[in-house]
Amino acid sequence: MKALRKHGWITGLAVILALLFVATKLIQPTFGASGVESLARAALPFAFATVAQAVVVIAGGIDLSIASMMAVCSVTAAVLMEGNGGAASLGIVFLVLAMGAAMGALNGLLIVVTRVPDIVVTLAMLFVWEGVALLILNAPGGDAAEWMRGLIIGGLPIPGLGGVPRALVVLLIVVALVWVPIRRARVGLSIYAVGSDALAAFRSGVNVGRTRIVAYGLAGLFAAFGGLSLTLSTGIGEPIPGPYLLASVAAVVLGGVVLGGGKGGLLGPLIAVFILRLVRMDLTLLSVDPNVSAIIEGTIMVVVVMIGGLLAAKGKL
Amino acid sequence: MKTLFRTTTWAAGLTLGLASMAAAEYTIGISNTVQGNGWREEMICAMKAQALVSGKVDSLNIAHRNTDAAGQSEDIRNLIEAGVDAIVVNPANPDGIADAVTEATEAGIVVVAVDQGVNADAAYVLSNNQEQYAYLGAKWLFEQIGGSGSVVYMRGAAGAAADDDRHKGFTRALEEYPDVSVAQEVFTGWQQDKGKQQILDYIATGIPFDGIWTSGIDNVIVDALVESDVDLVPVVGADNAGFVGQLASVEGLEGAAVTNPGSIGGAGVTLALRILDGETPEERVVLVDPALWANTDEAGKAKIAEAQNPDLDPEWPVSVQIDGWTDYSMEEIIACKGPGE
Repeated sequence: MKALRKHGWITGLAVILALLFVATKLIQPTFGASGVESLARAALPFAFATVAQAVVVIAGGIDLSIASMMAVCSVTAAVLMEGNGGAASLGIVFLVLAMGAAMGALNGLLIVVTRVPDIVVTLAMLFVWEGVALLILNAPGGDAAEWMRGLIIGGLPIPGLGGVPRALVVLLIVVALVWVPIRRARVGLSIYAVGSDALAAFRSGVNVGRTRIVAYGLAGLFAAFGGLSLTLSTGIGEPIPGPYLLASVAAVVLGGVVLGGGKGGLLGPLIAVFILRLVRMDLTLLSVDPNVSAIIEGTIMVVVVMIGGLLAAKGKL
Repeated sequence: MKTLFRTTTWAAGLTLGLASMAAAEYTIGISNTVQGNGWREEMICAMKAQALVSGKVDSLNIAHRNTDAAGQSEDIRNLIEAGVDAIVVNPANPDGIADAVTEATEAGIVVVAVDQGVNADAAYVLSNNQEQYAYLGAKWLFEQIGGSGSVVYMRGAAGAAADDDRHKGFTRALEEYPDVSVAQEVFTGWQQDKGKQQILDYIATGIPFDGIWTSGIDNVIVDALVESDVDLVPVVGADNAGFVGQLASVEGLEGAAVTNPGSIGGAGVTLALRILDGETPEERVVLVDPALWANTDEAGKAKIAEAQNPDLDPEWPVSVQIDGWTDYSMEEIIACKGPGE
């Protein structure tokens, strides 16, 4: 009970997600494993974009260039994988991940060195990375290694759980492998400390500048995973960034990460991604007017965050 | 006698009712990835109007939002989950959505791609020939400026598949006219305000140019020329209502409209319904070739005069019908109502 209260927001989100699954089943009785698999695959790039944004927001910043960095990584992977579908593609993945981390770190470095606000620097970098993506590939194209595409398509038979979507397994493994060790290390604590109160963190001996660069570098790394997931799910690279920036901010807010920094985790935003994708699916299943769909999605988000805010103010979360 | 009449009327009514129920039997899914663009809005309205007048569509399930190939794949998979009978899709990219389209056809769903092709063998394609669209207009423009000079090249959206196809057509025409050069190349993003600002910026530089090729952002370009009080140069645009109106009314303007019917969406619905009814076409891919209407020749002038339609939004193509493929009236497409609305 204490744990439930401590993680009240996440519990609430999990309940909403469960209710949405029930609602989906009621709307479309044939909704089953294939639907969940489609959902997981659709959520993958959104989830990586959201995780990337969450890390930066926890550190007290914001990165408006995440979708553009995803586009750069996606087109780079697609161009390099064309004709290199074998073992070489594994090297390409590591190269793209390193590139993503470097792009993110460069964002952080510019913010720390120039002392220009995060929102201004990353807005400028949004255009820079967008241009870089178009320079690498001026129109959708390239290729993706078939064996690698298979990693996120279909279900993985897990005893006791049946077929778990591979996309979900990949997402959880990547986030756990990258975030859990960092969260438990000094650098993780520093990210939260800097986001909570940079001055207090500095007085406590935290290297604020380096921590912020690490946070942006991590965001770049997760954005690279997002770009790779786009290439793997479509089989091509697209230089025009998709709708991942605003979606990532929405999921971060809905996921319980405080925009001021220092509070929240990655599990909440990840559940929020699935909630938002499932709402989108339900609206399609219900044949809701597409113009109205956007209004409903926004309204749901505002209402949930408002209720959460009220409960938090009353000390119930 | 009265009873017999009542019974007969009731039976006739029931038969008609059952017939109409049996007729409106299909659910059609629609997937589109550009929202708020006149051409795409006309395409959606053509789909709705055709579905309505066909009498065979029970409901339309429309996934219409700004997204990429991954987002469109999500929409297509959601439409598969919704159990639609057919999907009419304007692909974000021919390769990017191929997997989702194949999943749909494997689930027994008829898939028709309109406007652009899709690289999935089981899908049907009813597409405007984008490369030819650009080639026709560019060739006319280069001829009009006497085979030499410089032109402003106002493209669509950077990285978009349709823009890439059009660029191939423009480049092909440019290679045929070695004395023509591109003075300025810009991406309008198919946005009216952006395109107008770009041409105003270029006019402000004072660098002379002999013609303008646009990828469909056209009437605002003519507006900019007129407002800036500069010499009018030949302009190529699409068959959008606003531009076609200018071709007939702006004094001294030489221009050509290349057809690019948004009503291809209605044709896609017709094709999907024919296939569902068992009429499978001989060819899986049908390319609709564009036509050029120039206000510098009599045939073009006649076409332009015939196409004038002040009721249409300036951004909507005037080719609201495709013979043999669409049955709705002008009022029905403007009303933009589908079955059940």
